Amino acid sequence: MTHEELEDAVPLYAVGALERTERQVLEAHLLSGCLACHSSLKEHQSVAVLLPFSLTLTQPPRAIKTKIMAARTPAAAAESVSQPPNKPSLEPGEWMNHLFPPDEPSPASSFAWVAGVVLLALLAGGGYFAWDSYTRIAEDTTKLAQLQTELDRTRSALAERERSLTASREDIQRRTSDVAALKDQLIQREAELDDAQAQLALRGGPPLRAPQDELGLLLRTPDVKAIPMAGTTMAKPAAGMLLFDARTKKAWLYAVNLPACPDGATYQVWAIYEKPVSVGLFCVNNGDTSHLFVTPLPNFKNAKQFIVSLEPVGGRSELSGPIYLSSQLP
Amino acid sequence: MSLTNSDVRVEQTTAMDSPLQQAQLAASTIDPKLMARVAKGDHQAFSQLYDQSSTLLYSMALRILGSREDAAELLQEVYLEIWRKVVRYDVGRGTPIAWLITLTHSRAIDRLRMPGARPRHQAGELHTSSLAPTGADRSSSPFESHADQELKSLVSRAWADLPRPQQQAIELAYYEGLSRAEIAARLNEPLDAVKTRIKLGMSKLREALRCHWDRAGSL
Repeated sequence: MTHEELEDAVPLYAVGALERTERQVLEAHLLSGCLACHSSLKEHQSVAVLLPFSLTLTQPPRAIKTKIMAARTPAAAAESVSQPPNKPSLEPGEWMNHLFPPDEPSPASSFAWVAGVVLLALLAGGGYFAWDSYTRIAEDTTKLAQLQTELDRTRSALAERERSLTASREDIQRRTSDVAALKDQLIQREAELDDAQAQLALRGGPPLRAPQDELGLLLRTPDVKAIPMAGTTMAKPAAGMLLFDARTKKAWLYAVNLPACPDGATYQVWAIYEKPVSVGLFCVNNGDTSHLFVTPLPNFKNAKQFIVSLEPVGGRSELSGPIYLSSQLP
Repeated sequence: MSLTNSDVRVEQTTAMDSPLQQAQLAASTIDPKLMARVAKGDHQAFSQLYDQSSTLLYSMALRILGSREDAAELLQEVYLEIWRKVVRYDVGRGTPIAWLITLTHSRAIDRLRMPGARPRHQAGELHTSSLAPTGADRSSSPFESHADQELKSLVSRAWADLPRPQQQAIELAYYEGLSRAEIAARLNEPLDAVKTRIKLGMSKLREALRCHWDRAGSL
């Protein structure tokens, strides 16, 4: 308790508004000899004792005086005669006798006086300890409340960051899907490019090795992958074989007994990953019983299935037409 | 209990007191020498001390305890204690009436706090208007000394100048013996507000009454 707080407590002490512990702390302080507080207390006590002067006065019943006069004992009078009328000085703390006069007369022995002082000091010390503990508890409670507020603020910030992280994850997932779609388109463009190159060669472009020769070469390669394909209900007699050359990363599709493409339609080869991805286009003309189709296929090993469907000329980005050939990878 | 000769003399002397004589006996101007005489066992001095102070002390006891029976009983106990302990009065520490008021106030509050104490009137009554006298307990205002009337007027004016919340807080502490926390709970106000009200109220009263102390010396 600071001196300012003690000084503030003086008016409350004078009217008796302090708790026992607070009172003991202030009394201990006054016993220490603080002149400022002592002077302040005298002034405020002087105010307090004037308060009854403003009351509406009421005379006590007349019989009381008679009773009082009669009740005084010779022993009490003797006590009063034996005691010295005045004490010589204003000793520290003695002013408190005005507020708390002892119930029994003080013995004259110095031992009792010393014992009283020691007891008062112990009470004051105990009071101070209690007040100090109370103050510390109050401070700890305040700190705890501050920490709780800080914790709430941190939790709120953390929740905000979690929301932000979730949004970022969703954004990354969306962008990953976009990249996958772009990859698919790239593969399709590559296939289209290969097809265009093949058509260019057929129309008098630079001489290329005949596909049949290449197929013969491929069949002699020991580590070639061969995927059989069977006709669906759309073309039960049809069949096919898809070969994959890991060195050149090219796929060879040899199909037989496929119906000729109607006008405005073409066969489209699909590799099924998570979803169908176009591998390339080929057309079967009237009278053809077999067809050899070659296309780059860099991502062969992740394909779950291969399909041949009939789509409009130019192909579709998504599988939509009837399926004529289908494979089932082991 | 038998009375001594001096007791009888005191009763006779008291019985002869007239209103005019009582008018001269101001509570605020009790002579410290009278206390010294009481301390030496002077019955007549004790009787005079009673005549000068009993009305004020009884009024205060009545205000605190709220019952005439309790106030009368307390007054009897207080005067017997004064008779036994008057030797402890030290003029260096205050006027006789300050000592008597402090002693009576302390005993009345103790009695108020005793377990099983009679329930008193509720707080909030005006400082000067409660407990109007009835029957034989007539207000002694017409018989108050000039000095007491002047002091009463001064204190009443100072009191009336206080804002009501400050009056209320001081009243609850001084006349009902409530602690700061109890007052806060009673008025449903924060603890600090009660502290501030009492502090400000007492400071204002101190300033207003300073002229009295300068003129008459501290109580």
